[in-house]
Amino acid sequence: MSKWECLVCGYIYDPEVGDPDGGVEPGTAWEDVPDDWLCPECGAGKDMFEEMS
Amino acid sequence: MRLVIIGNGVAGVTTARNVADRKASIEVHLYTKEPYAYYPRPRLIDYISGKLSVENLPQYDDAWYQARGIDVHLSQQAMAVDPQARKVAFADGHKEIYDSLVLATGSRAWVPPIQGAHLQGVHTLRCLDDAHALCRQAEQGEPFLILGGGLLGLDTAMALRSYGVDVTVVELLPRLLPRQLDVEGAALLQQAIEARGVRVITGDACSEIEGDAQVHGARLGSGRFLPAGVVLISAGVRPKIDLAQEAGLTCHLGVVVDERMLTSAPAIYAVGDTAEFNGRVWGIIPAALAQARVAGAQITGQTDVAYQDVVPSTTLQVTGIDLTSVGEVNPEAGDYQEVRFLDEAAQIYKKLVIRENRVVGAILLGSRSDLAAVNQLVSRGIDVTEVQDQLLEPDFDLGAFVRRASARSA
Repeated sequence: MSKWECLVCGYIYDPEVGDPDGGVEPGTAWEDVPDDWLCPECGAGKDMFEEMS
Repeated sequence: MRLVIIGNGVAGVTTARNVADRKASIEVHLYTKEPYAYYPRPRLIDYISGKLSVENLPQYDDAWYQARGIDVHLSQQAMAVDPQARKVAFADGHKEIYDSLVLATGSRAWVPPIQGAHLQGVHTLRCLDDAHALCRQAEQGEPFLILGGGLLGLDTAMALRSYGVDVTVVELLPRLLPRQLDVEGAALLQQAIEARGVRVITGDACSEIEGDAQVHGARLGSGRFLPAGVVLISAGVRPKIDLAQEAGLTCHLGVVVDERMLTSAPAIYAVGDTAEFNGRVWGIIPAALAQARVAGAQITGQTDVAYQDVVPSTTLQVTGIDLTSVGEVNPEAGDYQEVRFLDEAAQIYKKLVIRENRVVGAILLGSRSDLAAVNQLVSRGIDVTEVQDQLLEPDFDLGAFVRRASARSA
């Protein structure tokens, strides 16, 4: 599963870690993160994230 | 078509990206007076605290702009806009013609008219160069005085503690973060901040900054004198509207825009901290992003995309203090209820503001555990009638309730 980076603030979503405080269990692939989930650092939406190569 | 964007902060760079991603045929020119590529402003705090090195601060490098065909021009300050000729003049004398222009000039630190504000050692914090200057002063071990107990003032105070310097925050109002917190929350936050070595004085204001050439300290309204080698004025920001104003665009507090992000002049848009919509300037990232999305759509010909005001949500995260404030936390008189939870020993405070059976505002202090669920309660407008009294009880599974309610309405 690939990591995704917030283009606004640089926060990295790592599927292995998830975002438990944000309601995303560890092991959640990016595609399964809810559409209204927000970047825990800056509040940007999912559309501001880019897949890391 | 040629698009010129003035300002390389989050609003400007996101507009550029939205346009570049949608339409390769538009030439995008992004101008900034700063010598740096885009860096996230909130990260300046991490730079000051030493969590982030200056090399890692920029979010994009040249290749990022190039890959999107965005022409970025650093160290180029826009001096004047001519809406009739559709031209922008820059400090180095050159002029740029545009078909569309986006003003994303952001905001500046506001300096209230205090005597002594011009002295050496008096700072504001808005850009990377400001942060460099503060770090140099902190390295010398000078005691800091921060005027203003808002988000930026508090974040900076905590970050400066990593240098081991004395830091005192003076807030004019009787409590911290009046917009984001209520009385109980502010008291708890103050305790947490003081426990981390920052002195906090509320209900007192600086009446004069004293010194000869160099600042020595500040005299407060109460008569008390606080010695300091550095004074950081953190009294909020004001939109930078000079360019727009001189070009004859309608401005009040900010540059006035409609729901298309269009200003009063043809083909000139304004986004982010500089834009005023419905009498309001939010000055927060989610609003800047939403506005950049609208401007990007409008410029690329998708004219049915309109801006709607966002629900303000702020998160303060400094060395172990978690604070989130969403929507209306201090409702004015009217028909609303509040649900609270307080665990003083653990320094956890939560409050939900409920109107017409829906959560319209929330404070979460000392815990992030319900953050997602609370955000969803607000953004999805979930009816909480049946569980209102249990919402914040420790054994109530808020996340599960939100999932059930969302599934029902889907």
